[in-house]
Amino acid sequence: MTRVFVLATMAALNSFSAHAGSLTLFASGEDLATEGFNAPKLTKDGWALEFTSIFATFDQITAWQTDPPFMAEGPEITGVALPFDGPFTVDLVDADDNDLVELATITAPAGHFNALSWALVPGDEGFSLVFEGIARKDGQEVEFTLRSADAIAHACGEYLGDERKGFVTEGGEADLEITLHLDHLFGRADKADDDEVNLEAIGFAPFATGGEFDFSLDGLHLGHFGEGHCHDSAL
Amino acid sequence: MTLLSRLCALTVCAAGCLTPLAAFSHAALIEAETAQAVRLHAFYDTGKPMSHAQVIIYAPDNPVSAWGQGVTDRDGRLEFVLGSETGRWSFQVRQSGHGAMVHVDVTDDAPVVVATGGAQSWGQRLLMVALVAWGALGTALFALTRRKGRDASA
Repeated sequence: MTRVFVLATMAALNSFSAHAGSLTLFASGEDLATEGFNAPKLTKDGWALEFTSIFATFDQITAWQTDPPFMAEGPEITGVALPFDGPFTVDLVDADDNDLVELATITAPAGHFNALSWALVPGDEGFSLVFEGIARKDGQEVEFTLRSADAIAHACGEYLGDERKGFVTEGGEADLEITLHLDHLFGRADKADDDEVNLEAIGFAPFATGGEFDFSLDGLHLGHFGEGHCHDSAL
Repeated sequence: MTLLSRLCALTVCAAGCLTPLAAFSHAALIEAETAQAVRLHAFYDTGKPMSHAQVIIYAPDNPVSAWGQGVTDRDGRLEFVLGSETGRWSFQVRQSGHGAMVHVDVTDDAPVVVATGGAQSWGQRLLMVALVAWGALGTALFALTRRKGRDASA
């Protein structure tokens, strides 16, 4: 249904292109990707993690102008759609000073893009998310590769963060950011054991022997829109 | 300010002006007006409140920059009086790297909640409810005048 609506609205958007701005889409694993898990932000089971790479593949990306605002309560978004080409496979460790990796910049009609749909999908090597790095705890050091082949669709309400984003003006520039919250996978030692994030997170203990592991993204809710939440579902 | 509240304020002021202040040990002046107010309640679906969470308010005439800020109480609640601008007011509540939004359309007649925040987080949901109080919230100003050399508590 979403794809049909995207196609229907693409033609409408073309009429805006003569008077439009630009919309840049970034992806980020935040400082936990670029700087790793370091004290006091160790994993929930006390491991320090240093990532050499975090490859993620994003596809089926569409920015939306919705009114009334989409509140991420289901998988379907209706409104004015602005699709991005994809897929994009990026290394979230190789980011700029703000922990951002640019995916694309496209022409966009004026207005507030207050919703985003996107998916984590397997890339050319069959994995949607691959962590490589070194874990350290109590003098022990192990190399790891953690891989997920899961495909997860996300339907997100408005971006939430230190500033409100997604306002495209005539001739102006705006940006949005897909955000992966890595503490939803590894947990956080600086939060209580019964904190929601630690109750759901896997932690690093299951991978403590080092080597290659496959893991599932099911139920982890890594995908966010800044601090805003997304409805996620398996593809 | 409504006609009724203007009349009330005028009546109170007139009473204060017509009576010599020297005749009273205290003169109490009250100005009152009705206003539109919004009451936010931010919580998880477990019932746990978003206590002491940051609230950022965006006004209709400038949805990009914050109009005001606040903090929820320990029950996840915050009440405040809206400005005079009609249009869509948006409220963002954030806590521990997660947040939710709610939107309220304010017209000349009455505010309408157009979208209430709700998003899945871990096994919980962040929920936010905006309740609108219309014309019921008053503000008051008390001015005390003391007779020189006399203990006001006497």
